[in-house]
Amino acid sequence: MDATDADIAAAPLPTDKTLSARQSVVVQFGRFLAINLKMFKIIRKDRH
Amino acid sequence: MARVVILGGGIAGHTAALHLTRMLGRTNEVVVVTPNSMWNWIPSNIWVGVGRMDTEQVTFPLAPIYRRKGIDHRQALATAIHPEGTSDDHTPFVEVTYTDPTRQGETARLTYDFLINATGPKLNFGATPGLGPDGFTKSVCTAGHAVEASQSLAKAIEKMKRGEPQTIVIGVGHGTCTCEGAAFEYAFNVEHEVRQAGVRDLADIVYLTNEFELGDFGVGGLTFTQQGFQTTSKLWTESLFRERGIRAITGAHVERVEEGVVFFEQVDGSKDSLAFDFAMLLPPFRGVDLKAFDADGVDISEKLFAPNGFMKVDADYTAKPFADWRAEDWPKTYQVPSYPNIFAVGIAFAPPHQISQPRTSPNGTLIAPSPPRTGMPSGIMGKLAASNITALIKNGSKAKMKTASMSDMGAACVASAGSGLRDGSAASMTMYPVVPDSVRYPVTGRSVADTYGEIGLAGHWIKALLHYLFIYKAKARPGWWLIPE
Repeated sequence: MDATDADIAAAPLPTDKTLSARQSVVVQFGRFLAINLKMFKIIRKDRH
Repeated sequence: MARVVILGGGIAGHTAALHLTRMLGRTNEVVVVTPNSMWNWIPSNIWVGVGRMDTEQVTFPLAPIYRRKGIDHRQALATAIHPEGTSDDHTPFVEVTYTDPTRQGETARLTYDFLINATGPKLNFGATPGLGPDGFTKSVCTAGHAVEASQSLAKAIEKMKRGEPQTIVIGVGHGTCTCEGAAFEYAFNVEHEVRQAGVRDLADIVYLTNEFELGDFGVGGLTFTQQGFQTTSKLWTESLFRERGIRAITGAHVERVEEGVVFFEQVDGSKDSLAFDFAMLLPPFRGVDLKAFDADGVDISEKLFAPNGFMKVDADYTAKPFADWRAEDWPKTYQVPSYPNIFAVGIAFAPPHQISQPRTSPNGTLIAPSPPRTGMPSGIMGKLAASNITALIKNGSKAKMKTASMSDMGAACVASAGSGLRDGSAASMTMYPVVPDSVRYPVTGRSVADTYGEIGLAGHWIKALLHYLFIYKAKARPGWWLIPE
């Protein structure tokens, strides 16, 4: 097995709960707002 | 009245043109020279490449926008810059050859007071024999390429539906490529499509990259905090590859491609080949074929351009080991030192060094992801050049120049991992700064508070929203300038 494939095989696998949260419309609506806030923070920093 | 000529109508050039007309008004002249008649929102080509969008959704004609905004649009290819004019007339000018069907092949001289080089890259498929749409692999660099990729993918899916296993190779086609993020996006979008088609078990999807490790993305990887731990984009990306069952080959330089086989060398010097049924490999970039001449007609291209064809600006290009490079080596105003009325922005400027550590194989092959400078940084640079040129026109030598070094610039990136309003997914990332600064941030080179990554449906919504927002902005609809770069 290639070293990268070995690293992939050893990487943490998300639980069913995490996978479900990643696709949940309710949870993701909150994440949508939170990620946008993080991005706006970067945009504000970039206003030279 | 001043005349500003912009070479290129992509993200950097088009952004500069729109801001210049807004900042200068119509008393000055803005000319855009671009060989293409269409504007393309390139980040969405990924979705064209899997058949989720068509070319009309990611492109629009530039001419009506430029007519409305009073911008002089020349559909032409710039071939030479004469920054000192001629011995008889010292007015600087560029030579162009029209690609406009009504003037095809005609040449002209366009004089300028200020010049913005925003030509973007030359897609250097020729660097790897057999690479590209004229060879044996597909690309998603242009909307047209993406359509061809989509058609080939559809054929591969049809074969799988008939029970034929398919090997799909997606990645970059040379050791010095950039845009690994786009290859990553395409790999996961293809995986998503194959799964949606119900044939995932028949697809062996392999990501082939020049990144030394997964999650590098050409920026040396990211470190961010997640649930109380500092984690790396390497671990985070590997986890996604495991979850989606995609194999990966890292630290690879593609030597050549033959029909159905890609031959590559890895950082350890080993050489191998991989048979494929469908492959999308991005090409390396180099500067466009643009020459420069002094007033006597002597070729001064080496003075203006780095060996890779990108334009040298106010960066420190002194050759030194990777460990000695510093954040302050990166350009701040993107002005050409010897000709301060010339700016080079977006992909067109020559980065002083790689962000991701370059490596050389025992055979002497350079495997070094080139610095990404597309998207958000390109737009910021375009606006910066417009702002500084406006200041120079209005205030002359007293103008206060603004700066936007990539070592003092953040970026927000959304890498699609599958399209769909309910079942889509994307990796949303922010980083600050793009170029690590080991003095300000000694631990990781970047602000851990502002460097962030998350995977989920929300990322897909953001990418979809950005698609519509940036096309709205590029069409210069009301309030366009309120949308940040």
